[in-house]
Amino acid sequence: MDVTLGLLDQLPSSDGGGGVPSGGSTTMRSILTGSKSKEDNNKNTMVVSTEVTSSYPAVVDDESLDGLELGLGLSIGGGGLKSKTAVTGGWSQYARILTAKDFPTTLVSEPNNSCSSSSSVNIPNSSASGTKRTATDSVSPPNGTSVVGWPPVSKAHRMPNLANQMKSPTENFISKSEQNKSKNRTVGIKDYSDERNGTANKKYRSVKVNMDGTLIGRKVDLNAHTSYEMLAQTLHEMFFSKWPSKEAVKPSRLLDGTSEFVLTYEDKDGDWMLVGDVPWEMFISSVKRLRIMKNSESNELASRCEENSERYRD
Amino acid sequence: MTSSFPEEVLEHVLSFLTSQTDRNAVSLVCKTWYETDRWCRNRIFVGNCYAVNPRILIRRFPDVKSIELKGKPHFADFNLVPEGWGGYVYPWVVELARAYPSLEEIRLKRMVVTDESLEMVAKSFNNFKVLVLSSCEGFSTDGLAAIAANCRNLRVLDLRECEVEDLSGHWLSHFPDSFTSLESLNMACLVSEVSFSALERLVARSPNLKTLKLNRTVPLEKLSTLLKRAPQLVDFGTGAYSAEFRPDVYSSLAGVFSACKNLKSLSGFWDVTPAYLPVINNVCSQLTSLNLSYATTQSPDLTKIVSQCCNLQRLVVLDYIEDTGLNTVSLSCKDLRELVVFPSDPFIGDVDVQLTEHGLVAVSEGCSKLHSILYFCRQMSNSALIQISKNCPNLTCFRLCIIEPRAPDYQTLEPLDTGFGSIVQNCQHLTRLSMSGLLTDRVFEYIGTYAKNLDMLSIAFAGDSDLGLHYVLSGCDRLRKLEIRDCPFGDKALLANASKLERMRSLWMSSCLVSFGACKLLGRKMPGLNVEVIDERENVNSIPEYAPVEKVYIYRTVSGQRFDAPDFVRIMGKDKDAVYNLS
Repeated sequence: MDVTLGLLDQLPSSDGGGGVPSGGSTTMRSILTGSKSKEDNNKNTMVVSTEVTSSYPAVVDDESLDGLELGLGLSIGGGGLKSKTAVTGGWSQYARILTAKDFPTTLVSEPNNSCSSSSSVNIPNSSASGTKRTATDSVSPPNGTSVVGWPPVSKAHRMPNLANQMKSPTENFISKSEQNKSKNRTVGIKDYSDERNGTANKKYRSVKVNMDGTLIGRKVDLNAHTSYEMLAQTLHEMFFSKWPSKEAVKPSRLLDGTSEFVLTYEDKDGDWMLVGDVPWEMFISSVKRLRIMKNSESNELASRCEENSERYRD
Repeated sequence: MTSSFPEEVLEHVLSFLTSQTDRNAVSLVCKTWYETDRWCRNRIFVGNCYAVNPRILIRRFPDVKSIELKGKPHFADFNLVPEGWGGYVYPWVVELARAYPSLEEIRLKRMVVTDESLEMVAKSFNNFKVLVLSSCEGFSTDGLAAIAANCRNLRVLDLRECEVEDLSGHWLSHFPDSFTSLESLNMACLVSEVSFSALERLVARSPNLKTLKLNRTVPLEKLSTLLKRAPQLVDFGTGAYSAEFRPDVYSSLAGVFSACKNLKSLSGFWDVTPAYLPVINNVCSQLTSLNLSYATTQSPDLTKIVSQCCNLQRLVVLDYIEDTGLNTVSLSCKDLRELVVFPSDPFIGDVDVQLTEHGLVAVSEGCSKLHSILYFCRQMSNSALIQISKNCPNLTCFRLCIIEPRAPDYQTLEPLDTGFGSIVQNCQHLTRLSMSGLLTDRVFEYIGTYAKNLDMLSIAFAGDSDLGLHYVLSGCDRLRKLEIRDCPFGDKALLANASKLERMRSLWMSSCLVSFGACKLLGRKMPGLNVEVIDERENVNSIPEYAPVEKVYIYRTVSGQRFDAPDFVRIMGKDKDAVYNLS
């Protein structure tokens, strides 16, 4: 079997000369000898070469090829294992946290509340993806980077836990008829993964919970809870069950801001919010993770957020 | 010599050849055989709707009863193909309606199907019998209503994972009372509630109904009513499988299931209430196929069920089954041929679910007939892969997805080259392979050397250089479909193996290092290929020729370039002077 060199010799080269000698696979091997040295790098788990071929691969002779380094081009499409620092990056956004004190109860159910998660529901994701024409469904591995279409699970199997949340159209907590009036399009389970429709989508049924002062975080299955009270109860058992019974940490007090700790969550836009402001269904649809904060910190942040929210309330 | 062999005899002989590959081979023998085949071939398969066009099809095959068309490339399933790319069935339906009024079957995969198309299908073919739409989109329940109302002889209406604009469930009520020929109905992907009484009456007047797959809105309490009407069912998909436990409902359901003596396949089980799972105990030993991919319940419940399925051949399940459950599978399901394990939380890096490589190794050890695997997990080792390859030398399809890209062997931290190398070396019948994890060019050398029967290969986040791609293109003689994403493969290997591309159905490369210039060159020099550059960047016209494209989709075609492409798709090189398509 011989390898026809095909069109390799017809690549334009800057000096116009030097074709590649025709031949079989041996020629190909010699052409690419430069990259063979990369095999030594394979012992390291990450081959991160950021150099992308900057000139058209004018295949002339072996010498010039040694200079060519085909990097992994991790900027294209996003990497998977990189940037573990993104996790800590997310934490710095808690400056926009709110407490229940900032909001009179009437605002709680308003969908246009700029600080509530529902406002983010209506923003089509294409605005967040820069110059891309259509938003592509993106995956967020735990380190925070997004990889489009990975893992390769088709829509029907992307969110089995979510699929089980689906009730009949009239009961859906995200009113599909409202969401899709402009598009006149109602689809099934795919609505929840399809960011193009602007519906709240990526919902992590199982979210991480971290508490200030505790090193190890826990995971809580939101699917198994139907109300804030239930969630508070579970969290209380997880984090406070070993404490001598302290009035300060009764489950309900996690929610009403009167205890030493405050329950907050990060929504799909990366904003940190106080748990309990929005209806349960809306909360589930946008929560990414939970954090039990010390009340002293949250007060300071709340005032900061109040400043921010003033700007939105025109 | 051919004159002493009457064509009628040849035709009769050829009629026993049903496989498309055989038919295609036969048609190449000589002119007489070509002619005979084209006159009597009435089942047509078009693997890429843009490889050919309706006129060419109609010119060659004058009498077609069944047609299967595929549109978008496979990676469209993972949102890598932007909306509006193409794959429209309407132009086909128009021509088919004109040329083949007695067409009976249409099967479409990954195509855009409009209500107009469905209406045209419903009204153009008097004897229309089978409509199968897999992963299609673009239509609403109105289109389904047209099918229901007009296709008097319909036998199969099968919607697999379609995106349907679900206006209401009323479409089902359009089946007239005189309609009794239904054999298979799959509406699992629909959301709206259909009228239960209409459904019940439909089932009751369909004595040939063998397959019924309900959607989520049909409640568990009503299943008995339906199953009582159709004890002859072979393949049944439940609706939402949850309800408050009531002994009367339970025993009623258990009773009707027991009466389904022909039941071989079960699916559905959304939102499963574990207490109701044992109703199927009595049919477990009959089952050859079980799909629990929506059953979000824990390992003990799942294990109890599978442990009774001694005749199971196909199992689809979530990773909730865990290693312990798969161990039970390996002991109980000795006839297993196909295993699919989906991730319950694909977007979370670390979960509490105890599903590792051990589960897969166990099944490979216990189930000697296993030939098809699709497995999502979070860790893998070379030794496990080697073991699997030795346990299952008859593997035909091996698709492994380690959730984290570029994950190495978790024990040795080495690449998984030797593991996958072992797979291709020991499994000589392997026709489909999907890889993941940390992989260098070496794995591609193994593939090029050993995977001589490989038909389809999927690669992601792998390789070091063009050498990897070159090994595959030059070594895999039978390769027809290659899809690559996020690999450092560029122009050299592609151009060096340009002629190979004409012997393949298609090549997809996204987030790689293939340049605009190379695509243009390829498109210009290879008239038998369409080189589609799919690039949505706004400033794409000012991007230099040496820069990489976002995505390129290359496929062979006898139809020339297509004119239904959107502006972010450029058919490269077809016009000598312009790079961009003309439409």
